[in-house]
Amino acid sequence: MTTRRSILKGGLAAAALTSAPSVIGAKAQPSAARTVKAVMHADLRVLDPIWTTANISAYHGAMVYDTLFGLDGDFKPQPQMVTKWGLSDDKLTYTFELRDGLKFHDDAAVTAADCVASVRRWAARAAAGQSMMQRVKDTPVVDDKTFRIVLTEPYGLVIDSLSTISTSLCYMMRKKDAETDPNQQVRDTIGSGPFLYNRDETRPGNRHVYDRNPNYHPRSEPASAMAGGKVVKLDRVTFENIADEQTALSALQAGEIDFYEVPPQDLIDDLKKDKNLTVEVLNKTGHVAFMRLNSLHPPFNKPDARKAMLYLAKQDDVMRAIFGQTSKSWQACGSYFACGTPMTNDENTEWFKHGQDIAKAKELFAKAGYDGKPVVVLQATDHYLANPAGLFAAQWLRQAGINVDLAAMDWGALVTRRASKKPPAEGGWNIFSTTVTGITFADPISFTGQAANGEKAWFGWPTNELQEQLRNKWATAPTLEGRQAIAKDLQKNGWDYVPHVILGQFYRNSTWRKNITGVIGMPEVVGFWNMEKGVSG
Amino acid sequence: MLAYIIRRLASTVLVMGIVAVFVFLLLHLSPGDPAAIIAGDNATNEQIAGIRKQLGLDDALPIQFFRWVSAVLQGDLGISIFSNEPVAKLISQRIEPTLSLALTTLTVAVTLAVSFGVLAAWKVGSWIDRSLMVVSVLGFSVPVFVVGYMLIYVFSINLRWLPVQGYSPIDQGVGPWIERLILPSIALGLAYVALIARITRTSMLEVLAEDYIRTANAKGVATRSVLLKHALKNAGVPIVTVIGIGVALLIGGVVITETVFNIPGVGRLVVDAISKRDYPIIQGVILIFSGVYVLVNLLVDLSYTLLDPRIRY
Repeated sequence: MTTRRSILKGGLAAAALTSAPSVIGAKAQPSAARTVKAVMHADLRVLDPIWTTANISAYHGAMVYDTLFGLDGDFKPQPQMVTKWGLSDDKLTYTFELRDGLKFHDDAAVTAADCVASVRRWAARAAAGQSMMQRVKDTPVVDDKTFRIVLTEPYGLVIDSLSTISTSLCYMMRKKDAETDPNQQVRDTIGSGPFLYNRDETRPGNRHVYDRNPNYHPRSEPASAMAGGKVVKLDRVTFENIADEQTALSALQAGEIDFYEVPPQDLIDDLKKDKNLTVEVLNKTGHVAFMRLNSLHPPFNKPDARKAMLYLAKQDDVMRAIFGQTSKSWQACGSYFACGTPMTNDENTEWFKHGQDIAKAKELFAKAGYDGKPVVVLQATDHYLANPAGLFAAQWLRQAGINVDLAAMDWGALVTRRASKKPPAEGGWNIFSTTVTGITFADPISFTGQAANGEKAWFGWPTNELQEQLRNKWATAPTLEGRQAIAKDLQKNGWDYVPHVILGQFYRNSTWRKNITGVIGMPEVVGFWNMEKGVSG
Repeated sequence: MLAYIIRRLASTVLVMGIVAVFVFLLLHLSPGDPAAIIAGDNATNEQIAGIRKQLGLDDALPIQFFRWVSAVLQGDLGISIFSNEPVAKLISQRIEPTLSLALTTLTVAVTLAVSFGVLAAWKVGSWIDRSLMVVSVLGFSVPVFVVGYMLIYVFSINLRWLPVQGYSPIDQGVGPWIERLILPSIALGLAYVALIARITRTSMLEVLAEDYIRTANAKGVATRSVLLKHALKNAGVPIVTVIGIGVALLIGGVVITETVFNIPGVGRLVVDAISKRDYPIIQGVILIFSGVYVLVNLLVDLSYTLLDPRIRY
């Protein structure tokens, strides 16, 4: 007779059978003592670090792939996969020789042909690569380990571009992967980097798993940012996707995770008091928060209206809203290139020294012929910067007598709407706010927001011929000193035509359990090589 | 009865069809572009346009809709825009945590709630009744995430009795599995306990006032037997109805609970997909959720015949 009890028993037996193969097939896991569980600033969604400019994909890239050159802690390019390189006397031909023993994760040797294909695909996507490729005549492969980049004119940024730490980084892939259309995503994740991507253990949206690459041959120099020996001292690193900040913080305090890249910044002072945690800024160039102005439509199609925004923005207000009243994790900055970077200078910053001046802003808006139409400010309510920045922008504009339409939305909707060139009243926009890392903001070539070539430029689409001439001049300047001099001209011009307005420069603290040591600081990327996990904590 | 079941199953297909059209239009007509999110913050319009073209998001909406529907009819829920994995595979990876959470919550909640409801009705007007009703009002009023954070703070951070977050599959041991479900089940189940307990009490009070209960008491039938055998069974129809309606509440609560306790279930999957505008995942999950909801209600309707033999379809 069939009874409820017999059905229940049958169900339990079936459940036991269903789970049996997994138990039998269970693999040995790396020990917890040599596994670091990390919560990064975002969930990894795209595995092709060339296809997207998302930072988290660059992190993934740094685990799986290697680079020809790497920036060291002093922002100087150092050879990484390359052992020797040289420049011809006419400064037109670069020759690169690869290190011995470089292997992809599928055991195939890394060849010059792989590198040429990788450089070409990267150059089709990355701003720094596009600028370089405009001067490249050819990229011949000399032999398995040697290739050249032949230029049409001297270009001082070849090595800087290959070692860029701004997304997208120039990661080396297998030739067959690198020959994928740059507009399509590479499906495989086979690199020659210090970690192997463990696809079997990975659960997209939940956990990404990286195992130590036993065949990786690190350089002998000490690790320094993306340069030096990437010695892996862990068996496994996992990127855990814990969407809720409070839960991630609790998990760190309970020792369930080891590393939390961006904890809630208003709680940093409390975290510093926790004896089990280390709190430190890893990206010393920080991030620049800025408000982008749409140059296509009134009122910001007039330079005077854009300049008015320089006199309206009060960086302290925005930064305090995010970091709290007492935090020292930010600074007000007037430089067009982020403060504390090689291009920082003081040109044309009277507006910054002057501070907020509502009357002056009113005067400039009147000069620009403001006609009373609402200015559309995009406010992403789920974004740590774009939410308060939107509110402040609206308030400042209202104080200056400007009508404001504060359009609240989520970040996903904002990144869609900001791409619209339509008039603000028809679904376009006038102002949105975002952030860029300090080192990217400081680079007139890598930061697409520095381009002023009209419809082809980044959102806001400013047109300024002098800016384009100066960017080109900057890119071809042979020395750092030369570039610094041109940076002054760029800044002078930049704060005259005003493509965007700075809202502050900030330094996000990361935190990890005290038993984690050897964490390397650098902009844009978090590297898990050199990191060790001790027994306590 | 069989004809009724077939009719209801046919209507389920119709409901899912309407849901499919509604969800598709809602997603595609609301602001948000997965290509812009994929491209990253530093990307230009040109790069975004290239990605949009590659993903087929440039095609007219009817073309995109019929492409999706024809794939669904062949059992293919599509490919995730971001992870490039089949949606069916992603959902199957996430189904176990969600089912575990839902079933443990339902089991604990129904057991506690019905007991509380019966007890409150039996001791109506007493301090036990009032206390249970105060607790149920609180349970219904306090949001799931607040309860979740409070439980984490007390039991995980301070007492260190239970883990903060995560999920351990049942095939890795029942101990770790249940350990990680205790707090989420309590957090999620509290509102459910409150809802069912209140309905059970009301329904029991109605039945306890009936003549046949008075007769049973007069005959000297044991109180336990009167309450559970005579009263509870006859009070069962509204209770089962509320449990069925509560499945919708549970689905909504699962989404929040999975986020607070970092359980990699279907709720988390769909929340992440919404923020990324990963259309195939959102469409697939909502289609499945709607199917589950309709089927649960069918089961509830069928269960009436077991509780009340007078009901026939």
